[in-house]
Amino acid sequence: MSEPESSSSFSRFLSGPALLTLPALAILILVMAVPLGTVISRSFTEGETVLENYIWFFNTPVNITVLIRTFRIAAVVTLVCVIVAYPYAYAMSVVGPRLRLILIMCVLVPFWVSGVVRTLAWVILLQDSGVINKTLLALGFDKVKLIRTQLGVTIGMTQILLPFMIMPLYAVMRGIDLRLIQAAKSLGAHPVKTFFQVYLPLSLPGVFAGATIVFILALGFYITPLLLGGQQSSMLSTLVQQQVLSLLNWGRGGAMGVVLLVATFGFLALAAPFMRQKYKMSGGAR
Amino acid sequence: MKLKTLTGLSLALSLGLAVQAQAEGPVAGETAEGSLAGKTLTFVSYGGIYQDGQVAALEDFVAKSGVTLLSDGPTELAKIQAQVESGNVMWDVVDTGDYMPYVHCGTLFQKLDFSKLDISKVPEGQVGECSVPAMNYAVMFLYNKEKWPENGPTSWADFFDTEKFPGTRGIPGYAEAEGYMIELALLNDGVAKADLFPADIDRGLNKWRSMRDDLVLWTTGAESQQMMESGEVDMVMVWSGRGKGALENGANYQPVWQDWVVVKDQMTIPTGVKDVDAAHALINAYLGAAAQTKMAEDTSYSPINIDAKPQVDELTASFMTNTPEKQAMAYNQNVQYWVDNYDVLSEKWAEFIAGN
Repeated sequence: MSEPESSSSFSRFLSGPALLTLPALAILILVMAVPLGTVISRSFTEGETVLENYIWFFNTPVNITVLIRTFRIAAVVTLVCVIVAYPYAYAMSVVGPRLRLILIMCVLVPFWVSGVVRTLAWVILLQDSGVINKTLLALGFDKVKLIRTQLGVTIGMTQILLPFMIMPLYAVMRGIDLRLIQAAKSLGAHPVKTFFQVYLPLSLPGVFAGATIVFILALGFYITPLLLGGQQSSMLSTLVQQQVLSLLNWGRGGAMGVVLLVATFGFLALAAPFMRQKYKMSGGAR
Repeated sequence: MKLKTLTGLSLALSLGLAVQAQAEGPVAGETAEGSLAGKTLTFVSYGGIYQDGQVAALEDFVAKSGVTLLSDGPTELAKIQAQVESGNVMWDVVDTGDYMPYVHCGTLFQKLDFSKLDISKVPEGQVGECSVPAMNYAVMFLYNKEKWPENGPTSWADFFDTEKFPGTRGIPGYAEAEGYMIELALLNDGVAKADLFPADIDRGLNKWRSMRDDLVLWTTGAESQQMMESGEVDMVMVWSGRGKGALENGANYQPVWQDWVVVKDQMTIPTGVKDVDAAHALINAYLGAAAQTKMAEDTSYSPINIDAKPQVDELTASFMTNTPEKQAMAYNQNVQYWVDNYDVLSEKWAEFIAGN
């Protein structure tokens, strides 16, 4: 591609398609950039010194505990989502159209119900006197502590976030040419080997896309850990809410938000090269 | 004949009183005809049957003054702060929790003008510089009668005694710190009442930490009520209104009133409201005996006018805290101390509820 050509296509882009992004851009600036800027600036300006809120954050043990916990829960939820979604998405990509429709509806219908409602449904299922424990008792088993545990939070968050994992996986898996599998088989490869050497690498872009979305969404979860978790499973967003809404400490709340944001970006930066490589690999295989 | 004279006498007396009151200042619950015609006031509270009952209590005020009353909510400190800071205050009268008007007096909430309010019928010691009470209620505990059909817990000492009464305890776990959580823990950790202050907050919280495995923290009133209705916890420390709500819905729990903690909601006026006089007029009307009777009957919370005599059913009556029997069992927290030490308390409490 020669230089003048690209610059003229750029100017064409500016006069045409770029204009179309203006409304979206205006909304983004208004509802995203401005509040975010305010939060960041307040985290630095509302304190005796510029860094006071940040020094407070890192000198308060509970903040560090909860920050680590937030990342740990997000990681576990992401892992469970991959394990559950992978076979499901695979099934979606290989079954006939009618069954596929049913499988898609099973993912989408709960997705249309608000997260709060689904979380409350989990409360009813998981609580000590809830459906699961009553069934266990009736069958002669002991009660299992589910609500107000990290297990409960993980179950609830996984269910809510599952569509975000299944959809990208399904999109990628549908695009995989199944004749490649047949080719591998006809060349004598064992099904396990076929899966790990042919299918899995081809599907990895979907895994990484879904995992990234799920992980980032999980980091910011608020309602589900609040309702399904106990003290030992509250996440950073809960602490932010306490600082801002209850204690009116916008500086500290802002600093917490900024730390979470930077940590998330840092994590993405670490994961990015890895992801690019995988994309290349799958591209090569294709 | 005698009756007639008496009636006449009392009529003259009440007329005389009214005249005298008019000369001296406002009378709680009395509103001048058409005094606020064309004006609009926004009243903010915590929603649910509570706010509905408060608005019902203000119906007479609305009819007489001609004001347009709008309801909004729920009360949120951050929203008040945003309004005060931007200079655009939309909330004229706000029902808040116990400490907020003291912690933010003169900043978020304005000092009340007591020449515009009649507080003569408000129970002793409940009026602050920036607030008058909105209602009284209790923080007490209930226990599961299925767990202890007889010889159940009878005091806070039993609540804290996990050996004598093994089982789970529901306690408040919301972000706003409550001083009585520390006071009760200290009193049941061997601290004498006389030595309570200055309070050792860490020791109080450590008392709770020592029984952590038995604790279940609730963050909303609805959650605490749900815990009783589903039988989730063996004992639960709740707002009295929620206890009553659960019993009404068939929860098999027994209230324990010994040393119930006196708590109240407050009526406040945020700094910078457009019509300060109208906001005061609303509060003055709200303090009236008739309004308080209506509020109590509709919400089951206790009135804050000593002349209010709500007619309520047996269950609601058993949850009214303004009776002499209940007053004799009441425990008063040191509101002033907790207001003065609110920052420290909040910080340590935040750590506790985050699981540290």
